[in-house]
Amino acid sequence: MDTSDCSGRRGDAKFAGAQERTRAWLAALGFVVAAPAWADDAEKAKTIVANVCSACHGIDGNSTVPTYPKLAGRHPDYIVRELKEFISGKRKSDIMAPICAALDPGDFKGLGAYFGAQKPSSGTVLNAKAAAEGKKLYQDGNELSGVPACAGCHEPDAAGNKRFPRLAGQHREYLVEQLHNFRNDIRNNETARVMREVAKRLTEDEITAVAEYLTGL
Amino acid sequence: MKAWLGALLLLSSLAGGLRAQEAGHDGGAAPVWNEIKGEKLLALKLRGDAARGAEAFVGCQGCHKRGATGSPSGAYPRLAGQHATVLIEQMTDIRSGRRQNAKMLPFADEHVLTPQEIADIAIYLQGLPIPPNLGKGPGDKLERGKELFVRDCSTCHGERGEGQAEKFYPLVAGQHFKYLLRETEFIRDGRRGNANPDMVRVIKPYTDDDLEAVADYIARLEAPAAAPSQ
Repeated sequence: MDTSDCSGRRGDAKFAGAQERTRAWLAALGFVVAAPAWADDAEKAKTIVANVCSACHGIDGNSTVPTYPKLAGRHPDYIVRELKEFISGKRKSDIMAPICAALDPGDFKGLGAYFGAQKPSSGTVLNAKAAAEGKKLYQDGNELSGVPACAGCHEPDAAGNKRFPRLAGQHREYLVEQLHNFRNDIRNNETARVMREVAKRLTEDEITAVAEYLTGL
Repeated sequence: MKAWLGALLLLSSLAGGLRAQEAGHDGGAAPVWNEIKGEKLLALKLRGDAARGAEAFVGCQGCHKRGATGSPSGAYPRLAGQHATVLIEQMTDIRSGRRQNAKMLPFADEHVLTPQEIADIAIYLQGLPIPPNLGKGPGDKLERGKELFVRDCSTCHGERGEGQAEKFYPLVAGQHFKYLLRETEFIRDGRRGNANPDMVRVIKPYTDDDLEAVADYIARLEAPAAAPSQ
């Protein structure tokens, strides 16, 4: 007879009994013993994405519509910040403002986590020459006109971080539109007015080039 | 170190104030170089935090590069290892307009960085290791460069180009050649607004060749090991 196995089983039973008693005590004390809150958040986020976000941004956050941004792989904190700013009006969007206002801000963290965990897709480079010029601008900036390297904030691989969004694989059309919006002060919710200053220093060719480079990453 | 720096700042600001008053009685006179007042005084007094400085510096590294190594083209100086006092002086002078820098100002202005963040960035940069082999010059006038450096520069900037933190004299050893050349030209020609008048006087007679010689010599000086970040 294997006694160690028996004692092990006895131990498990003892442990389960203790757990039951603990639950009973906690319940008696008024605690609700339930599944962890993050599991609920994740399930809820999935439902919201399916019902609300996926029509434009895709169920996996990889939008197939060039004017709607891809969200897959973006840092959750950045997603939460933008959602809040669509509501407050700091970031202006006639499309996103009413959609976000209809959501519970308590769900934003779950949405950020959901999109942040999706695998980002890459686009296709159509103009290799422009992409090569865009790479140089992205990594080194333009010293003559004082354009900083985009890599300084958005990371060398353009994966972004909690303060600055992922740009790798993003639709070129969306990138060009956002840079134009920064340049024309239409988009003005960024940290310390930095992107408006940068966009005003960019030429049209540079905007096209850097968007071409990023879309292929 | 903080305590004596504080005492020194207090003394120098008092002395500056007295000098300014005396000048006022004399019927107005030359402004005091690097007067320690306003946000410059505030940032110098604040205790910088290198970890917070690293966060705040993210917005600067698009130009000054990761590790603050700057650019060999001379467009952006290496900041790694520079004295915190000098960095605070330069950042606040650019904000106040004493040193004109239209390229940098929108990324370092009052809506971007607080005086606390200036202090944080300064202490972070002071503690960064100085990379070897930065931009150098042609190397054909190093004897002349050494002669000029020993005669004119070393009294303030130190025999090894290490500068003097408490006097706001920058570490110049191992700086990019082209940056040294550009700034010494600006200082000689009266285009650097916050230049030390003593230095302007010393290099006024320098020819372009002299500037190139001394800049090349300084760029090749081995920078000392980084100062502690606290």
